[in-house]
Amino acid sequence: MNKKYLLLTGIIIALGIGMLFMPQRDTDKQLRPEMLLAAIDDPSRFLSTDDITDRLVKQDPALLLIDVRSKEQFNTFEVPGAINIPVDSLLSAPAREIIGQKAKDKVFYSNSDVTSDQAWILCKRLGMERIYVMQGGINTWFSTIVKAVKPVETASVEEINLYQFRSAACQHFFGNSETKTEVATSTKKAVTVTKKPAGASSGGGC
Amino acid sequence: MVGPLIPMGVIPETWNNVIALLLGAGFGFSLEASGFSSSRKIMGTFFGYDFVVLRVFFTAAITAMTGIIYFDYMGWMDASMLYINPYYVMSAIIGGIIMGFGFALGGFCPGTSFTGVAIGKIDAMFFSAGLFIGVFIFSELYPLFEGIYNSRNLGGVKIYDLLGMRETVFGFLLILAAIGMFYGATFVEKKVKKVEY
Repeated sequence: MNKKYLLLTGIIIALGIGMLFMPQRDTDKQLRPEMLLAAIDDPSRFLSTDDITDRLVKQDPALLLIDVRSKEQFNTFEVPGAINIPVDSLLSAPAREIIGQKAKDKVFYSNSDVTSDQAWILCKRLGMERIYVMQGGINTWFSTIVKAVKPVETASVEEINLYQFRSAACQHFFGNSETKTEVATSTKKAVTVTKKPAGASSGGGC
Repeated sequence: MVGPLIPMGVIPETWNNVIALLLGAGFGFSLEASGFSSSRKIMGTFFGYDFVVLRVFFTAAITAMTGIIYFDYMGWMDASMLYINPYYVMSAIIGGIIMGFGFALGGFCPGTSFTGVAIGKIDAMFFSAGLFIGVFIFSELYPLFEGIYNSRNLGGVKIYDLLGMRETVFGFLLILAAIGMFYGATFVEKKVKKVEY
């Protein structure tokens, strides 16, 4: 047997034995109950529908909206740009890969914020970071953004600005219903061509 | 400096392809230098007269593994940031069978066939052409295979987690297994009739 090989074998076995004496790393990445409780107590996970809408309009690439309702509900109506991960498939490998992305702010929403908050707690416990919940869910989003109520004329500047932002955002997502109808009627206008009778002389001139 | 260098932002992301090209060239050079461009050498593994493939790849595996475990322990790199390919069970099994069949039939694996092409081996050229035809057929028929291809994704699993073992214990056992195989291979090589190539 070649002496060189015996030396190399000795080195790698020594390194292998050295490994056995390394302290065990904490491979369990789940959050400890005390830390989870502190995180649940902290309301900063709730993002308002206005904040989210603002980032959607500005097309913030770091924002990832996740609809945790069922596929049927998602297909009926969704916040533009959202992806669908039903809460029962939240632990599947593809879903964990999506939610585990470190460079994105993942925002859960459901009809209210109950199911989405449950999804948040589950993901928080799995040690995922940068996850949030849309406050009030899609119902609040619909009533504040899509069905924004026009404030009275004596309302404060802030209220009027907020209303203008909300209706502008709604136009951004769904277009303006008024301009749509205008365009529709104007294109219908037929162009009528009046032909001169064949025998008619051109009036005036030579 | 703490690694992995690119995910940590020590080296900008844009250098990724340049580094990949350099590493690829180095890999090709070492393959050719250790004789992997010869299909006869590779076939030695199946016939028992030359186990260099087994030795090279297991040496690479245990060296890299020992390096990662020690670097992580020293705090020179964060092993949890390493990208681990997701494990698609069905794709791995079916792909493994096809790959193994092609390997035994052609005497090359994809990487070694390119080193063969680089030094002008005609059988390697045919093998590489077949490889591209296979890629073309797979791409064209992708909708047919899509279901199987994407099924049973277990994510980036680690074998010692599946076995419920500490990673260092698994590492130690793998080193022992590799050394056992190296000596076993030498024993078989001595028994089998020498092939001149």
